[in-house]
Amino acid sequence: MKKYNTPLLDDLEKGPWPSFVTEMKKAGKKNEMANDAVGHLEKCYSTKKGYWKHGGIVGVLGYGGGVIGRYSELGEEFPGVAHFHTVRLNQPSGWFYTSKVLREICDIWDKYGSGLTNVHGSTGDLVLLGCRTEALEPLFAEYSSRGWDLGGSGSDMRTPSCCVGPGRCEWANYNTLEACYQITQEFQDELHRPMFAYKSKIKFAGCACDCVASAARADFSVIGTWKGDIKIDQKEVKNYANKMDINAEIVDMCPTKCMSYNGKELKINNSECNRCMHCITRMTKALRPSGERGVTICMGSKAPIVVGSLLSWVIVPFMKMEPPYTEFKAFVRKCWEWWDDNAKPRERIGEVIEAKGMRSFLEAIGVPPQPQQIREPRKDPFIFYTDEDIARFKAKEAEEKKTGKYKF
Amino acid sequence: MDINELKDKIYAFVEAAKGKKKLKEKDIIKGVSAEQGLTPEEVKKAMREMIDVGKLMYSYGGGASSVEIPSEEYLREKGLIK
Repeated sequence: MKKYNTPLLDDLEKGPWPSFVTEMKKAGKKNEMANDAVGHLEKCYSTKKGYWKHGGIVGVLGYGGGVIGRYSELGEEFPGVAHFHTVRLNQPSGWFYTSKVLREICDIWDKYGSGLTNVHGSTGDLVLLGCRTEALEPLFAEYSSRGWDLGGSGSDMRTPSCCVGPGRCEWANYNTLEACYQITQEFQDELHRPMFAYKSKIKFAGCACDCVASAARADFSVIGTWKGDIKIDQKEVKNYANKMDINAEIVDMCPTKCMSYNGKELKINNSECNRCMHCITRMTKALRPSGERGVTICMGSKAPIVVGSLLSWVIVPFMKMEPPYTEFKAFVRKCWEWWDDNAKPRERIGEVIEAKGMRSFLEAIGVPPQPQQIREPRKDPFIFYTDEDIARFKAKEAEEKKTGKYKF
Repeated sequence: MDINELKDKIYAFVEAAKGKKKLKEKDIIKGVSAEQGLTPEEVKKAMREMIDVGKLMYSYGGGASSVEIPSEEYLREKGLIK
C-alpha cells in the first residue's frame, strides 16, 4: 500500500480531541480506497484546491436517490478515489442500533467500500463514504437482504428524521419515533423516486427544544406542543430559588413575558405562553406541560441556495399526531401538490411560499388564516379581503344596525 | 392504448427533449398524458416500469434530479448490455 507524506493532515491530529485524520489513517491501513483518500486530502490541502466532481448518473436500478456521485479529477494519481460515491442508508428512528447491527453494517461496508463513514450526516442518514460504481448494486443487494434500505438524495423527499422522543425524553409531546417510521413507510415512492423540483425534508421534534433542529433545516418541522396550562409545583420553585436567580434566568428570558416571580410564588399567564420550553427545561422539577398533546407544523426552513436561509414559520398551530397519521399525510400531500405546480427548478417550498404569497398557499392547502401564522406583528398582511368578504361583512353590519344585535 | 405502445411514446417524448430540457418525472407524466389523452396514473405506471428495467433512468445535476435515456456506459454497469 502506498505511503503518503501528510504534514498538513498530521497537524490535525495534535491536541486532546478526536481527529478524523487519525480515523482515516487507521482505515487506510487496511483499505486502499481509504488510504488514497488520505493522500488525496493532503493534496487538496497543499494545493488549496478541491478535486471532487459531484453528481451524474450513479445509483441503483429503479432508485433515483440514496447514492451521491463523487469522482476525483485525480483518478490516475489516486486510483482509490477515482470513484468515491456516497451512500445514504435510511437510519432507524431515533438512531437506535444494537452493537451487533452496527458491526453488520460495517462488515458489509468494509467488503464493498472504503470502510469510512460519517455516522450520522446532518441529513439523519447513516452515511457511507467512498464506493466504486460497480460495487453499488452488490452493496445494495447485501444491505437489502439484511433489511436496510437507501435514504433520500436529489429532488426527492429526504429521509425523515426525528429526535429520540419518548425513547428517552420525558418532554416528548408525541411519539416522534413512531411518526417518523410511519411517514417514512407511507412515502416510500417519494423517498426513492425523485419527483419534485428540489428536495423536501420532514423532521419530527418532540417539543420546542427541537433537538433535531427541524426549525432551521426542514421544509416540514413537526414540533410537539400541548394545549393545557403549565403546571407549577411551588415547593420545587422554592428549591430552585435557592440555587438560581429565577427572575434573571427564567422570567426575564421568557420570550412572551408571560411569567412573574415575586420571591415567593411563580405565576404564568398561560394564554400568552408560546410553549418555547425555556422555563420547563431550566426548572424541570417545578414545571410540567399539561392537557391535550399534539404538534405545531412549521414550514419553509432551508439553507441558503437560491435565496437566503429561512427559518420555519407556523402554518398549522395544532394538529393531533396519532396513528395512522391520516390528517398529517393528507396535509403533506396537499403542500407537495401546490409546491410541484408552482416551483421552478431548485426552489424549496419556503421560497415558493415567499414568492407566491402565504395567502395563495393557505387557500390551496385549505388551512384557514390564523393569528399564530403571523411571523412578526404588523408585518405580514398576507390576508386580503375579497369583494365577497366585504359584501358579506357589510350585510352583517347592516343587519346588526337594524336589529341592534351584534353577531361578531 | 397498449402499455408497450405507451412506453414507446414515453421514450419518444424523453428522446425529443434530449439536450434541450432536463425532464422531471412530472414533466413526462403531464406531457405524455396530455399528448396521448391518458390519465397521469397510466403514464406514471408505464414510466416507472421503464425505469425499473433500465429503459429510462434517474439522473442528477445542478441540484435537481431528472429522468433521462440511459447511456451505454450505464447499461453496461448495470449488466443490461454486454
